[in-house]
Amino acid sequence: MLFRGQDTSMKRAGIPILCVWVGVVMVVFGDRIVEAQDGMGFVNEAARQVVITGRALRHIEERHWPNSPAQGAGKFSQGITEDSLRELINEAVANGRARPNTNGRPGEIYEYDFSRPIGVKINGEPASRLRIVVSPRNQLITAFPF
Amino acid sequence: MHLDYRLSEEWDEDTMDLSTVAEADLRYYVAPGDIILRADQTDLSAIWGWIPLIDFALALREIAEALAVAEGNETFEFTESEATLNFERQGLEVVISGSYAPGEVIVPFPVFREQVRNLARRLDAELLAKHPELGSNPVYQALKLSCG
Repeated sequence: MLFRGQDTSMKRAGIPILCVWVGVVMVVFGDRIVEAQDGMGFVNEAARQVVITGRALRHIEERHWPNSPAQGAGKFSQGITEDSLRELINEAVANGRARPNTNGRPGEIYEYDFSRPIGVKINGEPASRLRIVVSPRNQLITAFPF
Repeated sequence: MHLDYRLSEEWDEDTMDLSTVAEADLRYYVAPGDIILRADQTDLSAIWGWIPLIDFALALREIAEALAVAEGNETFEFTESEATLNFERQGLEVVISGSYAPGEVIVPFPVFREQVRNLARRLDAELLAKHPELGSNPVYQALKLSCG
């Protein structure tokens, strides 16, 4: 009888207890929830789908492929392929930091440090980070090591 | 200070319809070239051939507007590399430095703002003369390159 009575009171108290726990979570983790909504750290997974067009790939190959003659632009390491570039982009977008584009440009920038060389900077030093620029429609505009 | 630009002769404008391209295209793919930025012994020019000049003109205009309101720092990020240009308002002057070249360019703020306006106007005129279809692009019109 004693156990049954306790069980009943626990069930009756279930909704208020849930409310208390929700409140505790909001107080303790509220700042992180706001940060996620700001898009400065993590962004919603649905927004992390980047459309990679053929034109963007051609642009990146012209500027940033190992054999590209373009000066003042980071270059990917020898052996890069379109498939491996897609993998780098997907990993960076899934795990990297997002920030709004700068200088009034539309869209967002993702940056991710692979902790291993993926190319070279403009001064010829090894580059381990990837910067990805996407349009407001989440279309890839450019990507380069730095 | 000498601030100027040079359109790339290798730009293949036939790959896109300039009357309909979106803002992201205008700021990343259209009208690439070089920028010339130098004074006395310092040369911060970027002769890389790929710098999107519409974007450069718009960004500099935004930087000049920000520095007109208050002293402080504004940074231009190049679109295809980690290189930056830094603009620091110090009283009546602007101190310009680049991450990719040594030295500083120091210029009176009114001169800086006027040269930024001139660059945008000249670029707008040259682009419309060479590619009149840009004039019918509402996105390009909305950028108002010659205003400001």
